Amino acid sequence: MRSFLAVLALLVASVVSSAAQGTPYFTTYDHTMEEPGNLELSTQTVIGLQKHDLPTYWAPLVEMEYGLTGWWSTALYLEGASANHDATVFTGYRLENRWKPLKSEHRINPVLYFEFEDIRGASRIQKEIVGFDGAQEERIRDQHGEREREIEGKLILSSNAKGWNIAENLIFEKNLSAFDEPTEFGYSFGVSRPLAMLASGKDCKFCRENFAAGVEMYGGLGDWDRFSLRDAAHYVAPVLAWQLGNSQQLKVSPGFGISSASQRMLLRFGYTYEIHGFGRMVSQMFGGK
Amino acid sequence: MGARLLAVGILACAVSMAVAQAGVDPSWVVPEKARQQQNPLKDKPDAALGGKKIFTRTCVTCHGDEKNARKNNAPNLGSEVVQAEPDGALFWRISNGNSRKGMPSFSSLPEPQRWQLVLYIRSLARK
Repeated sequence: MRSFLAVLALLVASVVSSAAQGTPYFTTYDHTMEEPGNLELSTQTVIGLQKHDLPTYWAPLVEMEYGLTGWWSTALYLEGASANHDATVFTGYRLENRWKPLKSEHRINPVLYFEFEDIRGASRIQKEIVGFDGAQEERIRDQHGEREREIEGKLILSSNAKGWNIAENLIFEKNLSAFDEPTEFGYSFGVSRPLAMLASGKDCKFCRENFAAGVEMYGGLGDWDRFSLRDAAHYVAPVLAWQLGNSQQLKVSPGFGISSASQRMLLRFGYTYEIHGFGRMVSQMFGGK
Repeated sequence: MGARLLAVGILACAVSMAVAQAGVDPSWVVPEKARQQQNPLKDKPDAALGGKKIFTRTCVTCHGDEKNARKNNAPNLGSEVVQAEPDGALFWRISNGNSRKGMPSFSSLPEPQRWQLVLYIRSLARK
């Protein structure tokens, strides 16, 4: 119970202090980089509704992303997991870097992504689906001792045209803690659009331009030994984002499992707060201009 | 010969520092076709109000607003250098950004909203 309250406090604290504008995706990355000097704080929560009477679980994630330059964004993630009649645990951290190699905008914009993960086997956040990831049959308390150090890479391809964003991610993941395990692969695809093309002159919360909607599709592609869509989990997830003022965004996405290996539903919620000019504020605290 | 090279070096540094101070990147060239694009919202001055809203959300942190000048190396958008640019050039710069100099691409904004920004930027011209 105490650890449950600790995770809850972490989540609430981050919500109060914090998230950003951007596409409404949860698992798909587009080519929007964090603005230089801005700090984005966000929380995401996944509620996993499983098949065959397997327990429902809850997994929160806190993200701190900073724009180092116009072409380099870096982020730290802290994550947890909880289930009724089981346990509530901290499941590890992730360090992420994204690089945009091209200086300006193109028809297709590539971004390179690299992440190091030090997580527990009990991790439930499913920031991405790879390999033959499927149902969470084991108990969180039983998996908490399993430590996994993984590296993950993504090739992000993204385009903006006529108000639409289309983004494709190809994912590979290697478990460094079990080097004999094959490299796993996954994908994520998203398409989205704001609900209005023109910004109204009014200062309004519910104007259509403050909303963006779309759909994501993500899942596993098997592993090095068996590259396949079969026996892997796949999800289709409508996404909706609501921009609240200049710095905050709320988003929601019910992800429906569409293959036998999928869970019934991954319900995701997210909140983002962006601190503009964070780097400059810190610099001024230490006597910078 | 050495003194001449030194002088040229100092001059080059001074020019590049002056350019950096002005927030202008000489390699950030707008294609001619883009410069010639006309603002489709030119006859809708009310659209600038929406532009102001987007400006506050996306531009003020670096460029400042009409009351406060720029807050870092980003150019003041009311300056003569910026205002001398045609609408199409401003639209291109907003759309493409210049990630090497810290200017993000705002292609994620729908095109009409980027034109609204151009409309609002025009209203920042120093009187």
